[in-house]
Order: sequence, then structure tokens, then C-alpha cells
Amino acid sequence: MIVAEQKSLEELKALIEEAQKVLVVGCGTCVTVCFAGGDREAAIVSSSLRMATKLNGQPRDITSVTVQRQCEWEYLDQITEQIKEVDLVLSLGCGIGVQAIAEHFPQTWVVPGLNTSFLGLPTEQGIWAERCAACGDCILHLTGGICPIARCSKSLLNGPCGGSENGHCEIDPDVDCAWQLIYDRLTAMGKTQVLLNIQSPKNWKTSRDGGPRKIVREDLRLVAEEEE
Amino acid sequence: MPGDCHYLEGNVNAKRRVEYIKELLTQIGLEPERVRMFQMSSAQAAQFAEAAQQMTEQIAAIGPSPLRKKS
Repeated sequence: MIVAEQKSLEELKALIEEAQKVLVVGCGTCVTVCFAGGDREAAIVSSSLRMATKLNGQPRDITSVTVQRQCEWEYLDQITEQIKEVDLVLSLGCGIGVQAIAEHFPQTWVVPGLNTSFLGLPTEQGIWAERCAACGDCILHLTGGICPIARCSKSLLNGPCGGSENGHCEIDPDVDCAWQLIYDRLTAMGKTQVLLNIQSPKNWKTSRDGGPRKIVREDLRLVAEEEE
Repeated sequence: MPGDCHYLEGNVNAKRRVEYIKELLTQIGLEPERVRMFQMSSAQAAQFAEAAQQMTEQIAAIGPSPLRKKS
């Protein structure tokens, strides 16, 4: 999932300062399950901002609504009327949600209520950890299902660096060395021979280095075919 | 009695959540003392009465919520 964290209430207050009518928009997917921007958080942020602005002597009209996914036009269509009523939208979606609202409602001023952090998972309740860097060229079959791009601090492809100490990374003793994890797992699975394949330098073109990415699936598109 | 809860570690979790609420109230601009957690069993009537008394005095000292004022 996409993992995000809420901005502080102080930051949120500053973001909505210029507006009189604000709509806090939660998102019912990734940021709901990481407790950053779901329906419950949207209600709490909305209520907190109402109270905070009232106490400041500058009360704002703040309401909230949550859509199933801010990143799809169909779900955003459902709040068109509510968005028309306000002068600012505080999105509690990830960065994609904020941009989707800006793109879908060109006349609407939208600001981000979250900091989008990473692609990861909850390792236990209340703790989320990064697992994928969305590099666009997955090599998890070569690394025992543990990603060295996302989990090695240097994104090394052929084993650990000299900073690996007792299974931990030199950047922080609380951070596991991804290559130690990879080696341990491949050993346990009896597949260490995989490590004999030296990986050539990665082509980062599929990652951010190739500029903004886009996928086109002609088989799924709904455009009318050009007449012959 | 932290950890000695009908819901096992429930009161330990509740304590962290009360701390979160206090922090949120502070950020909103309200007194964090408006919420407080007391720990006791359901059989401790005297302690409950004492806690209720303490909380009543504490809240009375802070005064009514400023949010009640008409803006």
C-alpha cells in the first residue's frame, strides 16, 4: 500500500488559512489502512480544525467527506457538488489523490493534508515499513523476495557493502541489512546459487530516471478505433 | 494497574491513546487536562467516587470550554 503520515495540525491550519469554506476529503483505500487519511481521520481533522479556528477567533466552515479512491475520476465525480460549494479542498489522500483532485476539478484549490511516505506494509499494528521503490524492473526472483532497491540503503545489487555489521546497516543499527536478509533467506531455501549470477548495472530508465512514467494498455482502452 | 485489565493489555493501550488525545487537544488549543485517565477495577467504588470528585474539581478550575462561547 501507499503509506502516508498526516501533517501536523499547525501545518494544516496554515494551509487552510486563506479559505472560509473547506472540504476535508478522505480516501478509503491505502491511507485508510495506514490510519492517515480515511473517513475517521477526515472527521477528526475536520473537527479539530473547526475547534482550532474557532478558538483563534477566525472560525471556518469545515466539513468532511470520504471517497473510496481519490485516484479515480469515477469516485471523484461523486463529490462534484460538495467541491463546488467550498473555496478550498484539504485532501487527506496520497500525493496522487491531491493531484487527481487538482486535475479533475481545474477550478478548485486543493492542498495536501498528508505527507506521502513510501510503498510498504504494516509489520505490526502501528508500524509501517518500506518494501518497494517502484523501480519498474522487478528483480525479487533473484533476491529471495527481499528487495535490495527499497531495503538496502545503497540499493546495491550484488551483495552487502562494508557497512553491514552483524546483520544491520551502518546507517542505523535498527535497520536490517537487506543483503543479510537476502543471504539468510536464500540459504534457508537452499537457493544460494542464485547469488552466483552477477547482476549488471541496473537500467534506471524504468525508474524515475526516465522521467514521469506511463503505462498504456491498448487492450483495455475504450477509445473508438479509427476508421480504415 | 497497568496490564491488569479485563481486556488484557487494554488499559496500557488506552493510556497511550489518552496521551494522543491530550496532545491533539493541546494542538487544537484546548487544555489537555480536560481529559484524564484513572485506573481502577469495577469493584472499587470508593476510588471511583474519589476520581470523579478530583476530575470535577479539575474541570471546574479550568472553567467552561471556550468553544461554548458564541463566535
